[in-house]
Amino acid sequence: MAMSPIDAELLRNAMASIADEMYIALLKSAYSTNIKERRDHSTALFDAAGRVVVQGESMPLHLASMLGLVEVVLEKYGTEGVRPGDMFLSNDPYVGRGSHLPDVAIAAPVFHDGKLIMFACNIAHHADIGGMSPGSMAGGMTEIYQEGLRIPPIRLMRDGEVIQDVMDMILLNVRVPEERLGDYNAQIAANQLALRRTAPLIQRWSPDRIIEGCDAIIAAVARRTRAAISDLPNGVYHFEDLVDDDGLSREDIRIKVAISVTNDEIEFDFDGTDPQVEGNNNVTMAGLQAACLYCLKVLLDPDCPQNHGMLNPVTIKAPKGSVVNATFPAASAARAQTAQRIVDVILGALAPAYPERITAASNGANTSAAFFGRSAEGKYYVYLETLGGGAGARAYRDGTDGVQVHMTNTSNLPIEALETEYPLMIERYEYVEDSGGAGKYRGGLGIRRDYRPIGHETTFSGQGERFVHSPWGIFGGAPGATGKFAILSDSGKERRLANKPSALRVGPDSVINVVTAGAGGYGDPQERPVDAVAGDRKSGKFSQDYIDKHYPKQS
Amino acid sequence: MYIGVDVGGTFTDIAINRDDGSNLLLHKLPSTPDAPEQAIVEGLRMIMEQEGLSAANVRRLAHGTTVGTNALIQRKCGTVGLITSRGFRDLLEIGRQTRPAVYDMHSDHPAPLVERHLRIDVPQRTLADGSVHVPLDEDAVREAAGRLAAAKVDCVVVCFLHSYAFPADEQRAAQILLANLPNHVTVISSSSVYPEFREYERFSTTVLNAALITIIGSYLDRLTASVAGLGVPSEVKISQSAGGLMSVRMAREYPIRASLSGPAAGVQGALRRATAAGFPDIITLDVGGTSADVALLRDGTAVEVNERDLAGFPIRIPALDVNAVGAGGGSIAWIDRDGLLKVGPRSAGAVPGPLCYDLGGTEPTVTDANVMLGRLNNETLLDGRMPIEAGVAVDGITRLATALEVTPDETALGILRVACATMVKAIRSISVERGHTPSDFALFVYGGAGALFASDVARELGMKRVVVPPDPGILCAEGAMNAALSTDFVTTILAPLGTEGLRDLRSAAEELQARAANWFTAESVPVEQERRVWTIGARYFGQNYELTLPFDLTLSSDRLMAELKEAFHAKHETTYGFASKSEPIQIVNVAVKAIGELERPSLPVLSEDGKAAPVSRRPVLFDNDHRVDTPVYARTDLFSGQLIAGPAIVEQMDTTVVIFPEETAVVDLWGNLVIDIRRL
Repeated sequence: MAMSPIDAELLRNAMASIADEMYIALLKSAYSTNIKERRDHSTALFDAAGRVVVQGESMPLHLASMLGLVEVVLEKYGTEGVRPGDMFLSNDPYVGRGSHLPDVAIAAPVFHDGKLIMFACNIAHHADIGGMSPGSMAGGMTEIYQEGLRIPPIRLMRDGEVIQDVMDMILLNVRVPEERLGDYNAQIAANQLALRRTAPLIQRWSPDRIIEGCDAIIAAVARRTRAAISDLPNGVYHFEDLVDDDGLSREDIRIKVAISVTNDEIEFDFDGTDPQVEGNNNVTMAGLQAACLYCLKVLLDPDCPQNHGMLNPVTIKAPKGSVVNATFPAASAARAQTAQRIVDVILGALAPAYPERITAASNGANTSAAFFGRSAEGKYYVYLETLGGGAGARAYRDGTDGVQVHMTNTSNLPIEALETEYPLMIERYEYVEDSGGAGKYRGGLGIRRDYRPIGHETTFSGQGERFVHSPWGIFGGAPGATGKFAILSDSGKERRLANKPSALRVGPDSVINVVTAGAGGYGDPQERPVDAVAGDRKSGKFSQDYIDKHYPKQS
Repeated sequence: MYIGVDVGGTFTDIAINRDDGSNLLLHKLPSTPDAPEQAIVEGLRMIMEQEGLSAANVRRLAHGTTVGTNALIQRKCGTVGLITSRGFRDLLEIGRQTRPAVYDMHSDHPAPLVERHLRIDVPQRTLADGSVHVPLDEDAVREAAGRLAAAKVDCVVVCFLHSYAFPADEQRAAQILLANLPNHVTVISSSSVYPEFREYERFSTTVLNAALITIIGSYLDRLTASVAGLGVPSEVKISQSAGGLMSVRMAREYPIRASLSGPAAGVQGALRRATAAGFPDIITLDVGGTSADVALLRDGTAVEVNERDLAGFPIRIPALDVNAVGAGGGSIAWIDRDGLLKVGPRSAGAVPGPLCYDLGGTEPTVTDANVMLGRLNNETLLDGRMPIEAGVAVDGITRLATALEVTPDETALGILRVACATMVKAIRSISVERGHTPSDFALFVYGGAGALFASDVARELGMKRVVVPPDPGILCAEGAMNAALSTDFVTTILAPLGTEGLRDLRSAAEELQARAANWFTAESVPVEQERRVWTIGARYFGQNYELTLPFDLTLSSDRLMAELKEAFHAKHETTYGFASKSEPIQIVNVAVKAIGELERPSLPVLSEDGKAAPVSRRPVLFDNDHRVDTPVYARTDLFSGQLIAGPAIVEQMDTTVVIFPEETAVVDLWGNLVIDIRRL
């Protein structure tokens, strides 16, 4: 008998609260800034077949890349090879179906009376996973071996004990191993928490009811996603856009999509997209799936719980070996940059289908700045952060200034925390004047953040996008401004850097200047209300010159 | 005579304790949002006249209010200007650079309370170690004062980086501003409001405090004048978010501390009653029309947290750890796009209200489910003032049942179970998820709808006892009058837990000791009523969130260090499931809560005379099985020592208590109904 809609809701609620609790526990006990401040982690419960049933609050890029590990573990070990007290981990985009090496996923099978019922799994972005460059995110590498330690799906625990040989092997390969051990411990503890919480749940509902319930919960999301897709008019929608470069050898990397909506089903076809690149901004299938699912959720049903059911009415096609479906040994650390552009092309394509929900292009990047060095006191440090920029203007409102968009929503580290922990100081953190595209509703402003190393030389690596190709406006709106990296020396010289600079040494007499892109406007600038233009002027966010140029009638 | 007043958006509640053991006098009247003091004075005058009481005998009038919160939500607050370090003018607006909902491109954080043209950055920059990177440019501050004065600001806040540890520049800038701004303009520095690190949260707290100063100041002027006009000889005391009271003087300076006082006063009331009744460990469940608030009290002490949101802005003030969720009597039952049954967070509110009010409601609510199952009176509620149309409720739920393909009774039970699951989740997050076991606690329920859910929630969490106070609808007003004066002082030290760190801890404690002493003097607290509670916030080096631990300042350094270490590892283990005993620990901050004990009114005692017989009987559905013929008692008939065997319903003006089959309830000396949850 199928589970009633009342019981399915009750079970979903109970399982979701376990995933939520894992999420918070991991957040609060982790060491990596990426986890503790930037929330670059996700948690979920899977059914015994390896399908996500409930996911805690999570990063859009983890929407699908988490789907991989449990599936792969089941393929490799089979249900009979998985035993109580096991935990498995992997980070590899190819054999582990992850999306980049710093994201380490750990899964724990949940048994009841010797029977496999479900899996608890969490994934977290470690501050370092080894490789050529500190922080394991830098550009300039051409194959995945340079990016860090590749961990295939393997056992990390047996009979409830960590396999020390495995842990030793991992820790020897990563920088600041004491802190990383803290992160692995926090991830293991989050899964153990799930084991403690699921035991009484299974006892109470009975294993059969749980299995039945998982089916019902996944089916409900599939139904819901189908209903949401039905809101779109049938048709085929096209769009394309360019990624600035891969940091090595290629510029203007094309991403092209044709989206076919047929009743309650949708197909994304990326035929015509450029081949994978030498640089590290390749996206694997897991990342592509995450980007497509993100767009569906954000456009059609923001409140939809995330699980395997979302994939049910969705077909994704992409040429094998393309930059959106990369194959071994493509480097993929900076896959978030390209994932952002995938979102841009999907939203751009669906603009005519859903003009009231769509936005103009946002800053389209996961602009990141990484610092490595040894402080004047001799202490090594690795620090990575990502910056927001403009968010695209909307059908009824201006875009937000200086905010994380789409595939990322990581918060900044408080400056007072950053300056206490690292020998760096922030000299400026402010909006970039005139960087939002004009329109009936204007695009959001980019951010400027200036860093100065204190008393030592730091090694800077960065990832920038929309530094060349502006975020587009829509329905007559103007594009937003592009961003840049530069070195400002105290003598007054400015040196513009590459869009993806790698391992650049900067001394205390210079400032690393990071400027992120703004966002596009929505609708004809001539329709912008006079008092909105007056507000642009009064706030100082836009100059008189800009206003005269874009809003001559209203100024 | 002691008076407690709670001003909510809809009702102003007044509770008077004559301090002679007789029942509380209670009064509920419509609030007057434009001038909240009017309802207070009106209500007090009426009740005193009726009962022949003299205002001259009032020993304390304690007051909880949401005046500030409402002003913020409606953005009817003062104009604020901001002075900050050069290069950080936009920090207040950038916030944490996140969007509030990851998957919603259309929701934004609220616009900052200081407009951008009123945010002025001046050359000034101190680094983390206190070294001066750019000295304060005093002329730039003077120039800024001129611009802000011309913009007619009501208040100016000074927010410099690293001021939590090095406040000198903020203090100097504040002096200059005071000298250069018109007299009526208040100047506040971030280090005086919340001297802790993490700049955005500190700046935000300071700005919210500033925005409230004008509006709360004038409200307090009117309130104190009109209360004095009644002939009340003692000063009004104001409830705080952490449950204690503060003087009008403190409330004028730190209005933000009153912002979350409503739920805190309720918890304070629960604390007082539960402790008296012999339940020092309770979880409170306050269910109203729209939401349920839960809190945990251990050893008669409520848990406090610092991180809260107010009107969409982060604030850092000591507040009771009250977790609110969208499940209440008016919560609407609906079928989501996925076909599953959902309850809340939308509520039918008081207007149009549940279907059974027949006032235009169109969707079934939790109250309708309770009416259909016979748990709520299906003819009238509120002592006969609210007629109930049970048929309309049944029709609505039957429509829902058809869509869900289950029976109407299963649907009604399902609505209650889904709402109950939401409350259980809220309780789990403040108990199980913090290392507490709910079965060690009694469930203390109040608010109009709390007692309807008590048994289901308790059973779900394995709790064995439920306590229903005599007047669950008015506990906030009652709680306010039972609280002590209190305030909190905190300082960030970021020191290792070692010999050197303990020196920092002791010198920070000395400084806090002095600040507490000043406060005790200013509030005229007699020495024998002074109390101090010391805590540190600590974490493993490299972590970002701290755990709070109490400590005893009188211990020798060696013992103190050993005890703190052990306590920290243990707390980390219970909170997160692991401890890293070899890892170094960092003390983030040191805090003292200064408490000035006040005389408390005695709790009224219930008479041993009463009527044991039920007033009526009705069929009630308790579980999936069948309706049971159930006796209905009037709460006002109950007497001290009375035993009631389930199944039974106890009705009073604004609350209905459900006692399930096989449960037993006893009425204690103070009139609490204590239910034994046997059917585990």
